[in-house]
Amino acid sequence: MAKLIPEPLAESAGAPVGLVAQAPAKKRGDGLAAGFMIGPNVTLFTVFVVVPIFGALALSFFNWNLSGDPFTTAKWVGLSNYTKMFSDPLVLISVKNTLYFVAMGVVPTVFISLGLAMLINFRFPGVSIVRSLYLVPAAVSLAASAVIWQYIYEPKFGLLSYLFDQVGLTPPINGFLSTTSYALPSLDLVCVWTTLPIGVLLYLAALQRIPASVIEAATLDGAGWFRRVRYVIWPGVSNMTLLVAIISLIAFTAGGFDLVNILTRGQPIYATETLIYYIYYTAVNDFQWGYAAALSVLQFVIIVGILVLLVAARQFLVRRS
Amino acid sequence: MRAPKALRTGTRIFFATAIGILLAGPLIFLIAGSLMSVAQVDAATPQFIPNSLHFDDYINGWNLVLTARSFLNSVIFVVFAVGIQWALCISGGLAITKMRFRGRTAITSMFAISLFIPIITTVIPVFIVTNSFGLIDTYPGLIIPIAAQTGFGTLLFRQYIVTMPHELFDAARMDGAGWWLLLRRLVIPLARPATAAYLAISVITAWNMYLWPLLAANAPHVETLSEIVAQIGEGDSFGYSVTTPQLYAATVITIVPMVMAFLLVQPAFARGLLVGSGVE
Repeated sequence: MAKLIPEPLAESAGAPVGLVAQAPAKKRGDGLAAGFMIGPNVTLFTVFVVVPIFGALALSFFNWNLSGDPFTTAKWVGLSNYTKMFSDPLVLISVKNTLYFVAMGVVPTVFISLGLAMLINFRFPGVSIVRSLYLVPAAVSLAASAVIWQYIYEPKFGLLSYLFDQVGLTPPINGFLSTTSYALPSLDLVCVWTTLPIGVLLYLAALQRIPASVIEAATLDGAGWFRRVRYVIWPGVSNMTLLVAIISLIAFTAGGFDLVNILTRGQPIYATETLIYYIYYTAVNDFQWGYAAALSVLQFVIIVGILVLLVAARQFLVRRS
Repeated sequence: MRAPKALRTGTRIFFATAIGILLAGPLIFLIAGSLMSVAQVDAATPQFIPNSLHFDDYINGWNLVLTARSFLNSVIFVVFAVGIQWALCISGGLAITKMRFRGRTAITSMFAISLFIPIITTVIPVFIVTNSFGLIDTYPGLIIPIAAQTGFGTLLFRQYIVTMPHELFDAARMDGAGWWLLLRRLVIPLARPATAAYLAISVITAWNMYLWPLLAANAPHVETLSEIVAQIGEGDSFGYSVTTPQLYAATVITIVPMVMAFLLVQPAFARGLLVGSGVE
């Protein structure tokens, strides 16, 4: 198995090729034909991926309300959109909420999905139906999940309040989504629900590649369940752990907008104000597109930073073992 | 003392099934709610099994809440965004694996780097660019910026096309076949599994997309299903005559096609994630 995501270009098994695939043995290049073949792709990619990234960086030094041509109506303000962040309490709150939302979402998703994949990784009658039950939430959009969980979180007569009562707990009187200490974890639960199946699906694929003989050998050597998981299965699926973590990170970043915008709008008292929601609000409601661009740069640095940390952590662990 | 094997297997099957029902539970709960009478769905204790089935709520949910227009908009968005992106990705994948031209390494690296940049972090700037073309609240404005996110797809096809033997291409080129013909007659048929994996991921992602349609297509004539469903989640009642089961029925209608599709294509879906990200 190749090393993955650090090198997304790693070749499939048995074909160790570097960054550039070997081209057909031909003397002259295919310049013009290649231009037609990849030109449209690169052009659109440049306009809608590359330009926005650098455009946002540029716009973050201006104030602009989206009206008219930015080259004439935007006002140069230097670094003031960045210095403003330090005096804006919502920036700190929304960054904290985002980190909390992502950490409390990604970490459980990784471990629970591995546990579930191990639980259903054996053959029994009806296994495909049972697996389907595990996988269906992945196809449910965050918007539709919001409807489902709104129903479950309903303050007075909702299912969760009812379950709380049944086991002798007191459900929050204003409802889960309107109580500061419950709101963000409640949104995390929704997003975990839609993301877990992807983890289960990927871990199932990884588990099926650990040869049964390896696990049997460990069992014969007297390794108990915990030691088998720790020393055979966990290292065996480590490639997949990185992929599951990255996919979850992206899912929870998206969830930080979709669920917040639909279910809580950042309330109660900013308990669910995530950075992506704050950016959206700053741009669409407050018309501060320059400040929103600066906040987008901050969001970009945070998410890409976490991605790089994940990859670096994995490289470090691989090298140590 | 260890329990006998049959007992342990039985316990495991029991737990696996119970947890499965728990996980699918929220969706089943919504479907049950969509079939109940208004009185039952609003009852003081949560109800799990409908006393009587009200399928007519699906018709009203479709007519009064979703509307054929927004369903059509979602279909147009998915078909064109995914179709255009597929064409861009498979041709781009061919170019960066089998063709010789300057800048190939740079282009390949550019796509690879873009895997680290989720669209959610650039969505506001993408909106500004789209707005500057005057494309907000139009189909092209909804579709093209998403079709242009080609990084993942191009690399997915690259990983697949790179394993096709060069001799095949050399021989065809010797016989005078152009690259366009090679793409149509050789690459597209041979890369069918990659196309399946690509479609499995892209169609579901596009159908469920919310933030981009909300920004780029907020006007009623281009509104997609996700935006309507989001309004249900926000507590919009869609007028006095619309009942709670009808709102749930409308939501179920948007979920079911993707759930069915996902269960059918989940092996391709997993393969796409693995190949596109380079795990294999």
